[in-house]
Amino acid sequence: MPIVIQPYRPEHEPAVQEFNARLKNGGAESDLVFYRYAEPRWLPQVDYGHLYNEYFVALDNGVVRGGYALKHQPFSLPDGSVRSVGYYHHPLSEGIVNKSYAVVGSFLLKDAMNRTPLLYCLGMGGYDNPLPKMLIRLGWSHCAVPFYFKVVNPTRFLRQMYALRTSTTRRLLMDLGAITGGGWAALKTLEAVKKLRAPHAPKVAVEEVEEFGEWVDPLWQQSKDQYVTSAVRDCETLRLLYPASDKHLMRLRIRRGSEDIGLAVVGERRKDAKYGSMRVGSIVDCLASPDDSLAVIRAASDALKQSKMDLIVSNQSHSAWCRALENSGFMRAESNFIFAASKKLAALLEPFEQSKSRIHFTRADGDGLPRNF
Amino acid sequence: MTSNIFEQVRSIASDLFSIPSERITAESSPENIEAWDSTQHLNLVLALEEAFDFQLSPEEMEKMRNIGEVVKVVESKISATKS
Repeated sequence: MPIVIQPYRPEHEPAVQEFNARLKNGGAESDLVFYRYAEPRWLPQVDYGHLYNEYFVALDNGVVRGGYALKHQPFSLPDGSVRSVGYYHHPLSEGIVNKSYAVVGSFLLKDAMNRTPLLYCLGMGGYDNPLPKMLIRLGWSHCAVPFYFKVVNPTRFLRQMYALRTSTTRRLLMDLGAITGGGWAALKTLEAVKKLRAPHAPKVAVEEVEEFGEWVDPLWQQSKDQYVTSAVRDCETLRLLYPASDKHLMRLRIRRGSEDIGLAVVGERRKDAKYGSMRVGSIVDCLASPDDSLAVIRAASDALKQSKMDLIVSNQSHSAWCRALENSGFMRAESNFIFAASKKLAALLEPFEQSKSRIHFTRADGDGLPRNF
Repeated sequence: MTSNIFEQVRSIASDLFSIPSERITAESSPENIEAWDSTQHLNLVLALEEAFDFQLSPEEMEKMRNIGEVVKVVESKISATKS
């Protein structure tokens, strides 16, 4: 019986649970589980909408051997068109614990490519993982989306940043920096120097809104053509992505005088062992003309500071947003947030090497929503 | 098995797996071609799609367990397209 890939339906749910159990028993990491329910909790398809998630399972005589999720979202493309682009995420194959199913991963990807030739992956945990390795061998265009962080509370950062406290010497130095205040002084001086060198950001008014309103649409229309590509961020889309019911997110409206110049979505990340007990805020999403990116990043960063975050993080693909982060005291670190575009999508972004710093991708376009951003 | 399609498949596989085409037979498979792993299998499928201008499903991918079976799938796709 050949493996067939089908939309995930409620009758497959018990087989998915058995699949998850086999992965767990086979030694897979505890977070490697496929969706328990066939209907997506995040972005289910409603009324033929254009922004939705769907799930697929690979069946071997009724037994689930893998699955993947596909998010469909309209994108503004360089030719001026708006087309649906697929985001391939959460692929999971029994091949990770049983070599007999090593081919399932490639079947899943092929199925997604057949359904949505304009396809991308984002995140993936770094170039060392199997999926980006496979995509590179398939000739997908790729780049790491720059990662930035800003230390708000240096003492807690030095004490709690377990990802950096990897040796006795490092731990001693970080503890010394925390106890003497030397670390605080060094980090704050670095931030101050970056800000001093930065261009002046015009005064703006920042308002926290419960939900994005129609004021977003002209902002989207004015901004979209300044990016080689971007997921559509109009009012309808943002209300679906960030509904008022999501109380863990803050939605910011940024104005200069009476003109709307930008928006941002910020929130506190879930606890993560590598950050210890620090409160980590994320600039999840943002939109503005690249020229106004500094004002938006400063507004987003200030909102997270006021929410008592110890550390703020962000991934931004566009060079103007990267500069805005640097000019707001952020530091750049190695990124494991990888963007990869299928050959058909990359063909629309040619020349990719030049386009990659002018596309607009943020954490919101990756696999971290709705909670792990 | 038509020799023309077999030769085209052999040429594609030879380029992809970096082995001389005369070493590729109908029995050639992942068992005896070291470079033929799951990713290269997908690359083979994509190359066939481009060369013959059709689309293959994961189920058809799975049937392609050796070069002979690859040729059979290609032949059946071509005849299905013609009919």
